[in-house]
Amino acid sequence: MTSTRGDRPATDVDVAVVGGGTAGCVVAARLSEDPARRVLLLEEGPDPQPIPPIVSDPKRQSELILESPYVRMYDVERPDGSSFPLLSGRIMGGGSSINNLAVVRPMRADFDAWSTFGGDGWSYDALLPLLRAIEDDPDFGDDPIHGSGGPLHLERSYRLDETVDPPVRALIAAAGDAGLPPCHDLNVPDPIGVCASPYNIVDGRRQSTAVAYLEPARGRPNLTIHADATVVRVLVDDGRACGVEVRDPDGRTTTIGARQVVVAGGVFHSPELLIRSGIGPSDELTAHGIAPRVVREGVGRGYQDHAVVYVTFQGTTELREDYVIPKVRLIAKSHPDRATPDLHVFMQPSIRMEGLPPLLPVSVRLLEHRATGRVRLASADPGELPIVEPALLQHPGDVEAMAGGIAFVRELVRHPALAEFYGDLVNPEPDADADMLEHILTSYISYYHGVGTCRIGAADDPLAVVDAGLRVYGVDGLWVADASVLPTVPHANTNLAAIMVGELGARAVAAA
Amino acid sequence: MRLEGTIDIPAPAEAVWAVIIDPRDLAACVPGVSDVRQLDDRTFEGSVRASVGPIDGDFAFRSVLATLSYPDELVVDVEGTDSVTKSRVVAHIEAGLSSTSDESTTLAYRATVTTKGRLAIIGDMVLRATAGMMIGQVTKCLRARLEAPA
Repeated sequence: MTSTRGDRPATDVDVAVVGGGTAGCVVAARLSEDPARRVLLLEEGPDPQPIPPIVSDPKRQSELILESPYVRMYDVERPDGSSFPLLSGRIMGGGSSINNLAVVRPMRADFDAWSTFGGDGWSYDALLPLLRAIEDDPDFGDDPIHGSGGPLHLERSYRLDETVDPPVRALIAAAGDAGLPPCHDLNVPDPIGVCASPYNIVDGRRQSTAVAYLEPARGRPNLTIHADATVVRVLVDDGRACGVEVRDPDGRTTTIGARQVVVAGGVFHSPELLIRSGIGPSDELTAHGIAPRVVREGVGRGYQDHAVVYVTFQGTTELREDYVIPKVRLIAKSHPDRATPDLHVFMQPSIRMEGLPPLLPVSVRLLEHRATGRVRLASADPGELPIVEPALLQHPGDVEAMAGGIAFVRELVRHPALAEFYGDLVNPEPDADADMLEHILTSYISYYHGVGTCRIGAADDPLAVVDAGLRVYGVDGLWVADASVLPTVPHANTNLAAIMVGELGARAVAAA
Repeated sequence: MRLEGTIDIPAPAEAVWAVIIDPRDLAACVPGVSDVRQLDDRTFEGSVRASVGPIDGDFAFRSVLATLSYPDELVVDVEGTDSVTKSRVVAHIEAGLSSTSDESTTLAYRATVTTKGRLAIIGDMVLRATAGMMIGQVTKCLRARLEAPA
């Protein structure tokens, strides 16, 4: 069946999947493998076919983010009143259709942390077979921790041992002397060092989940795909999800009956939809005049993300456009005592302006978040974006770690190999620690890796929204399956984790 | 984004003031500014070109001298649009002069820059990265102009 846009589905279904993002495409594709199960996938954004080159061509990534209509921005404030955007993908495939295509597994420490919320089923050993089944990694296909033949193809366009690129060689030399070795496989359970980044690209084409998962499923007669369809709320009757209310672009609403409902709207919109459906914290339900079905204080709470701070050095020479990124990333520790590497460091492309020497930014990306933020409704109207309070760098431990990361980078670029390229620090002014602290607190942005707003947890955990099997507490027949269920932000990009959650969601629903 | 600082210039306050309120004089000191056109005695337009990796963009702006009260109150409002994302950038700049001697002046400035639209994704980082060096170049240029023999 081909997709239709904004039309009303005529018949009831077995499963309604709300949100065709990274995880939602996985859920819909997996569940529709059973021809007896009628699956409806509802996506608020468009589902352009064929996928436009600005989305599918990885070389147009900057254009995609800066100019395309498929990116949604959420303005959020720092405590000083300044603002920065969070992003999501508003197109079939969601974040996987607009992200930088990195395929990075969570670290072992992340699975350990998730196990404390979700039990043994969330351990590294328990989920390794699933991680292997997701991927098709020709570079490491024979390795016992890797997979071949899975839907998600990985490729590494860059091999550290073959590099002839002087800045990358310099980075490898400097990091090596700092005790950080070349890391050929970023997806080992405990990666550290200069890592070649794996990407989900096949023949120069982005492998979003709309491509890797949904495309092969589109011909199935039991799968209906509706794009440009806004789900107003999940219908709950007598403690059981029984369908969804959907609004089309013309404002017409219709009701679709479903035996099971999977919410996969992502970290911003899954909690928003639950709250609009009467499943949420009492203050939010009261504030927006929504009749409570199930009071769950954790809905929208628990937001975690990765903070990013840029420091900029004067370049000693003009660098090629493709410089280090996106070939390699440095995985490091903000302090030698840290048990788990807590930093991604990217040597960013140069900034050039007439009359100024080239400037070389380095981004320091903190992979932990000790505070928790919140997603709240701006209004009960689904047309209004939710309010996000990310609480990045609001914990002294996070600020300390970021400062440690920046100190590490400043030391690293003084290594003779990198000093060929990196000169003096120009932003922030290098004079005082107080300036650096102010720089951190007034300039941080997001790595766009939000999680945690519908997190897993035990039944007696007051902030848990779903159980270890992703079932919403207090409502039968309702699941959340996207990165919002992750109780802590992983030490990694979140796209692969979201795919994993999508797979888990599909299995849970199929087993119910 | 907020910027705040002082610039010491070895010249009398009157001479510094004359340069900073003249759009062409001032624009000539700001790196990357081109196509300066004066619309009236308080308004001028121009553009700035910058690149970030593979992204090349022009930023077309209009600057208005909103308040002129020698020596301690100069308010400039700048609005512009970039050529790539069509985002809007608004800057509000306040500056004032204080004489530290007959032949030296301190220029104190405070600026708030707000980016609306997609440019916010990278624009803030670029502004922060370049601001310090631009101010350094402006300082150097102002000093050179004011020290140069008439």
